Amino acid sequence: MAALVLPASLLVLLLLVAPMLLLFRISLNEFSPTQMMVEATSAANYLRAVQDPYYRQVLLTTLAVATGSTLLALGLGFPTAYWLARMQGRWKSLATITVLFPLLVGNVVRAAGWLALLGNGGAINATLLGLGLIAAPLPLLYNTGAVVAGIVAVVLPYMVLTLSAVIEGIPRQTEEAAANLGARPMTVFRRVVLPQALPGVAAGSVLVFVLCMNTYASAVLLGGPQFKMMAPAVYDQFVRGNNWPFGAALAFILLGITLVLTVAGSAALGRRYRC
Amino acid sequence: MIISRRATLAGAAFAAAAGLPGIARAQAKQVVVGTWGGDYGELLRQNIDAPLMAPQGIEVLQDVANADPRKTKMLAERQARRGTFDVSCLSDTDMHMMAQQNTLETLDMGRLSRAGSIVPGLRKPYAVPHIYSALVLLYNPDKVPVPPTSFADMWDPKYRGRVGFSDILYSTNTFAAAMAGGGGFGDYKPAEAKLMELRSLDAKVYPSNEALAAALKGEEVWITPMWLARGYMWQKAGIPLRHVVPSEGAYAIVFEAAIPRNSRNKDNGYAYLDAMLKPEAQTAFADRMGYLPTVTDASLPPEIARQISLSEAEQARLRSPDYDYLLRAHTDILDFWNKQFKG
Amino acid sequence: MGSLVLDALGKRYGSSVAVERVDLDVRQGEMVALLGPSGCGKTTTLRMVAGFVEPTAGRVLIGGGDVTRAPPHARDTGMVFQSYALFPHMSVGANVAFGLEMRRIGRAEREQRVREVLRLVRLEGLEDRLPRQLSGGQQQRVALARALVVNPAVFLLDEPLSNLDAKLRGEVRMEIRALQQRLGLTTLIVTHDQEEALTMADRLVVMERGRVRQVGSAEDLYERPADPFVAGFVGRCNLLDGRLETPGRFRTASGALLPCGAPEGAGGDAVLALRPEHVRVAPAADGPGRLVAVTYLGPQTEYHLDLAGTRLLAVQPTPGAADPMRRLSPGDAVSISWDAAAARLLPAAQPDKEPDA
Repeated sequence: MAALVLPASLLVLLLLVAPMLLLFRISLNEFSPTQMMVEATSAANYLRAVQDPYYRQVLLTTLAVATGSTLLALGLGFPTAYWLARMQGRWKSLATITVLFPLLVGNVVRAAGWLALLGNGGAINATLLGLGLIAAPLPLLYNTGAVVAGIVAVVLPYMVLTLSAVIEGIPRQTEEAAANLGARPMTVFRRVVLPQALPGVAAGSVLVFVLCMNTYASAVLLGGPQFKMMAPAVYDQFVRGNNWPFGAALAFILLGITLVLTVAGSAALGRRYRC
Repeated sequence: MIISRRATLAGAAFAAAAGLPGIARAQAKQVVVGTWGGDYGELLRQNIDAPLMAPQGIEVLQDVANADPRKTKMLAERQARRGTFDVSCLSDTDMHMMAQQNTLETLDMGRLSRAGSIVPGLRKPYAVPHIYSALVLLYNPDKVPVPPTSFADMWDPKYRGRVGFSDILYSTNTFAAAMAGGGGFGDYKPAEAKLMELRSLDAKVYPSNEALAAALKGEEVWITPMWLARGYMWQKAGIPLRHVVPSEGAYAIVFEAAIPRNSRNKDNGYAYLDAMLKPEAQTAFADRMGYLPTVTDASLPPEIARQISLSEAEQARLRSPDYDYLLRAHTDILDFWNKQFKG
Repeated sequence: MGSLVLDALGKRYGSSVAVERVDLDVRQGEMVALLGPSGCGKTTTLRMVAGFVEPTAGRVLIGGGDVTRAPPHARDTGMVFQSYALFPHMSVGANVAFGLEMRRIGRAEREQRVREVLRLVRLEGLEDRLPRQLSGGQQQRVALARALVVNPAVFLLDEPLSNLDAKLRGEVRMEIRALQQRLGLTTLIVTHDQEEALTMADRLVVMERGRVRQVGSAEDLYERPADPFVAGFVGRCNLLDGRLETPGRFRTASGALLPCGAPEGAGGDAVLALRPEHVRVAPAADGPGRLVAVTYLGPQTEYHLDLAGTRLLAVQPTPGAADPMRRLSPGDAVSISWDAAAARLLPAAQPDKEPDA
């Protein structure tokens, strides 16, 4: 068995870990406009990122958008996941496919859909203008709301599928038992369904939060040029600035903060509900 | 040019891990051309590969990617004896950087039969020019009845909220502001005050050229600094636009081709560059993309020539960018654009 | 009027019938078992009482009040689920206290009553355990305690013993019955196990394919089954198809002429029901019957017989070692007899009935 498993594990390790190590090494180098990258061992890139109020603001925006999007996805995803999990028979596969369907379309294509919906000449503004309800197009695009809408549309299937897998494992009879003992539907949800679904809530939220923290396409296309999140900032440094060391440092800061928050979040949730 | 060997290897491994495109090793009668895809790559195939290279028995393999991954690949392969590309197509600014990084062959013009036809102002020792376009001010003639003449006209309070920029052209936009503020090709510093002034005049920034085009079409914005070739394509798409080469002076964007030092088929590379300088290899790009030929003996259909050609006076206002200055100032330009102007 | 009344209760799903019609009065403190094979509608009936299934016909009355359209939480029933359905994230104490909390009973009284009920089911001291830390039998008693602690008007048990092993099942059966009698609980229990139903319930309702076949005491059902299905389902029974030839004489389908009890207005096609313990067997070289197989079961012995082409089962106390019966072996000729009154004549069976013997 070991002979079979070892090469594959080593390959995975190599593919996952080696680029990270290289990226970390690059983050300690120095940038030079004429030479691109000069070998060094310095934390200067990290210090610069932390001390620059611009990047602090980018980080705060990223955290706020990721947290808000995760909570919204949870709020919208839970009822859908519950409904899906309790569905029976052939309708269930149909509903599951419907939930999965958006995943078949790339993030960029979906963002383009939002552009067509929210743009100044988009479906909403065109309709409102056509009906004479507004005189000038509403600024629906290039703001935080558009980005959050775009992100939630992307991550919702992940949340719904993660939650519904866990909810399916909650015995229906525990809900009936609670109702039988006098609990109203909201109480059944709060006292019986939600606590049992917490592992799913934790898993779904972590997954979605990580996806949100790394949002690129929605941020760039729906947030507009003035809206900055971490992933586009990293891309900017690598591709536009040719500044690989600083880009790598930003990437590691994003990675580190995401890691710390998800671990802390799951631990807090786990302690509270003993799951 | 001093980059340690280890950092370079790291770069190569990074490029490999990032899954940048590769291609099979070229054979003797092949030439591997690193180029953009889309219209540019297709026009190369139609007007050079098939009619000019195939009769010579040379098979052309396109290695298609955007400029940045191809630049990265060339840098990563710098130390290797054999590189991927035999011909590399890049913009003049990128090509200058590649030349600075010692990745390019110094061309033996004697091996290019067409070398003498190159427009004199576009000649370089390390590359041949293929097509070019000028930086102009595009404006909507319906909304701006008095044609602007200079970059400085963008600061006219009449046009508050009607000046638009494409985010990806931050360097060009900063140049326009520098020229309006009395700076020069080697001094973008005055752009900072001018950009902040324009910001308070509600200048708009769009995430891509396409988004800017949509805004021009919807008449949200009326004026923008842009490549003439883009303006030509947008006019063809029905957007009402006119252009002017600003009085402060402007520069051209030249799409060039060069032979990497570690090319394995240099003879075929020279043959390809020579073909790119044939008039028929250039005029098709004028019709489809609005770019001007770089050889003196190419003639455009009069209708197209009228739309994209420049008068002698306009040509006189064009200069080459100060590549060395841009290389050094690039980080500051990008930072200012991102943090101050857009922030 | 009983404490629980099912009045012409029925449930259809589209064109398929789950429960055709159930009429039942359960008196205060009475325990009634719904008994039948799977798919007979007994569980659907119970769930209509609890409010989990909405009836398509008829009414449910609890303590005289119509609760047919009331949601589950507004009905005063206490249910023990087949899977126990304990809340896995709550301690035993919290599980049991849940119903009291929902009834807004103060903390002090809650704790007092939880302690009492846990003592009643012999789980004192296990308040802080989680359900998964308990054995199956203990979990079952938590489920009982949780339903009992709220003093429900109607106590509902859905196959409460089916997840216990055979030995424990016998004990718990007695415990539940004792508790039910002590607390005077009006109880409806669903089971497919006739022994469970016979030992626990005051009255049994035998159901089959959504219909009630017979309601009565264990004795009624065993000794006076209304039809071949009940006779076959409750206890073992020889069921012979045929017709009444003359009063007291029954001709089986295979041609044998057998003595039978006085018909109660019956005639023509009928089923002869004969309990195996009423069939007497004796060695007789010239006897009309033949022994097919003998099964020794300790205190009892089963004899599988052939009487002129008709298969019969006899169950007799195992004879002493010296008895000639002990020397009978398959193939031997035997005499077969029964009291004519023990052979009951029932209306002809429906074609899809399976005789038990």
